[in-house]
Amino acid sequence: MTLFDKLQDTLARTLKVPVETITPDTQQEDLPSWDSLGQVNLIMAIEQTFDLAIEVEDFARLNSVQAIQAYLAEQGLS
Amino acid sequence: MARSRFNFDALLGLDDRASLRDELARWQPTLSLPEVNRLAEHAASVQPALRPLRLAVVHTYTSHLLDPWLTLEAALQGFAIETFHAPYGLALQEASPGSALVSHRPDLTLMLLRREDLHPDLSRPITGLDGSRLQTLKQACIDRLADVVGRFRAQPVGQILLTLLPSTTPPTLGLFDAQAEQSESRWHAALKADIAAWLRAHCPATLLIDLDDIAAQVGRSRFLDRRYWHSAQFPFAADAAHELSRRVMTVATVLKEPRAKVIVLDADNTLWGGVVGEDGLDGIALGPEFPGSAYVEFQRRLLDFQQRGFVLAMCSKNNEADVDEVLRDHPHQLLRAEHFAARRVNWQPKPDNLIELAAELNLGLESFVLVDDSDHECAAVRARLPQVLVVQTPARPVEVATCLDHVARLEVLSLTREDLDKTALYAQERQRRAVLSQAPSAAGATDYLAQLDMKMTVTLQPRRHLARLSQLTQKTNQFNLTTRRYGEQEMSAFLGSGDWLVADFSLADVFGDSGVVGLAMFRLGADRRAELDTFLMSCRVIGREAESAFLHALLRELAAAGFEEVVADYLPTGKNGLVKDFLPSQGFGACPDGRFARRLDAAGLREASDFPIEITWNRPEAGSPPEGSSASD
Repeated sequence: MTLFDKLQDTLARTLKVPVETITPDTQQEDLPSWDSLGQVNLIMAIEQTFDLAIEVEDFARLNSVQAIQAYLAEQGLS
Repeated sequence: MARSRFNFDALLGLDDRASLRDELARWQPTLSLPEVNRLAEHAASVQPALRPLRLAVVHTYTSHLLDPWLTLEAALQGFAIETFHAPYGLALQEASPGSALVSHRPDLTLMLLRREDLHPDLSRPITGLDGSRLQTLKQACIDRLADVVGRFRAQPVGQILLTLLPSTTPPTLGLFDAQAEQSESRWHAALKADIAAWLRAHCPATLLIDLDDIAAQVGRSRFLDRRYWHSAQFPFAADAAHELSRRVMTVATVLKEPRAKVIVLDADNTLWGGVVGEDGLDGIALGPEFPGSAYVEFQRRLLDFQQRGFVLAMCSKNNEADVDEVLRDHPHQLLRAEHFAARRVNWQPKPDNLIELAAELNLGLESFVLVDDSDHECAAVRARLPQVLVVQTPARPVEVATCLDHVARLEVLSLTREDLDKTALYAQERQRRAVLSQAPSAAGATDYLAQLDMKMTVTLQPRRHLARLSQLTQKTNQFNLTTRRYGEQEMSAFLGSGDWLVADFSLADVFGDSGVVGLAMFRLGADRRAELDTFLMSCRVIGREAESAFLHALLRELAAAGFEEVVADYLPTGKNGLVKDFLPSQGFGACPDGRFARRLDAAGLREASDFPIEITWNRPEAGSPPEGSSASD
């Protein structure tokens, strides 16, 4: 399973959308369920899936698949 | 089950919810959110299908983020939840008829409140306040809580679960707090106790879920996640969210599933380690040394369950004399003969013994929980008596003591005086039966009743017995004409209404006092007709003419008040065949519409002197509070 597959699965399960809805270009505003609560849920899910502790200052900028992938790369995951 | 580590994927291979709950209780894992979602999907997919459950949440901090955990725990208990979150804040407008919350028709309403909702002063240190100010502050908090909870309780919002978020920081005075005269923790503990006392006395069908205890269980450092608290006003870290949800859904199970009443215990490798028939009195594991210490701890736990009102019984394949010897002579055996309401120690199949125990205790098998270590016996009982809840004793002694702690149906939401005395009540009944079995004939039976020297206390509009009366409607299946179940809230409304005559009775005899065991509820019509809505009696007092003495006492009461006719129903349920002929036997005639009726002016109202029971009346006093959970009566 690639990093993207894992991320795609996490986003789809957390935001309760079909897995194919999540593409490398998906952004927060594309999905109604990715609202402010969805965002916190997603942060929790990403932390636990990738075994990370995300700083609260970073919560807001993780608002697209690209931004999350970039963040994971910063953390040494790719 | 020889695994020594928690394995999440193995959970997804389990195909019944009880095993899933057992494994989670055994390992107490911290589940990640993706795991929570996967497990919830799995638990929802196994048989039997989920049943609907409606939940409402009133919250002054973010509650939506609890949803994944609530959904998981609901699915593990067999429920599909539909959750309504009230608007953020103390949404008092929801506590009104026709509000979105009331229209949701919740089975449960979870109130997630913070301390400072009770008084703004609680958002600052209170250690500087003097004693009288602290006292006023506490009263102001209770008044505020009473107002808020009382408004919701006045609406049909189901069972209320009240929570108060503990402090997110250590106490103001830190290390010294526990010892300080101005201790904040002590003040909050006193506030909690006063809130509990208020709920007990004034607020039926409302349970305080103690978040302090959840914090103690998961640890304060694993209770709150400050990042989510400050960014999203959501306090709970994964373990706390999970445990709170588990407790909420435990309450749902207690409300929706049949009441458990009896814990039937196997003996070998359940009450002690080893096999008494082979290892002998001195050879079984029971005592201060491991593994015997684990079984002593389990017996101690069983005494706790007895205090909750569960009756203990024994069902063991053994020579009776061997087990008797342990109960009587083993120095470390905590459970003695008097702790068991009934025993079957023989070589018969366990399902047959359970059927016999149910008959002896006059209780349905759906109220039985069997604890047994044997794969074979557990399987045999599950196959033949699926209504019995089977808990397999863990093979590892260290896990035995806690094996019942997470069984939702062994929780209680209120406690009555009768619950505390239950095993003694069954023991008295055994003595009565022993006397009766010596009576040679019908004439002997009459003598037997006279020997009992029975005294009945009939209480009208018994507000003090509210919890017990509601419990009787929930628990009584056999001697029950209509099997109408009433929650404490509904019962409270009947007791306060001038359109109803509600009466109960307790019965004392030479062996002891039964406590409140019978209930009658008449709906009073304007046309001099009364309708018997509910007439029930605990099976403990069957066969003593108490039912007739009670009914005729009330019929005389109604006649004296000017009523001319009583209409009644027998609604068959499959469990109440016992009372099929009760109404005709009491002078009621069958009507063409299937109901029963009797005139009150007709001859044949039986007098008190017709019965071997002396009756004392307890008339209502204005303003007496309902009985709470205290043992006093």
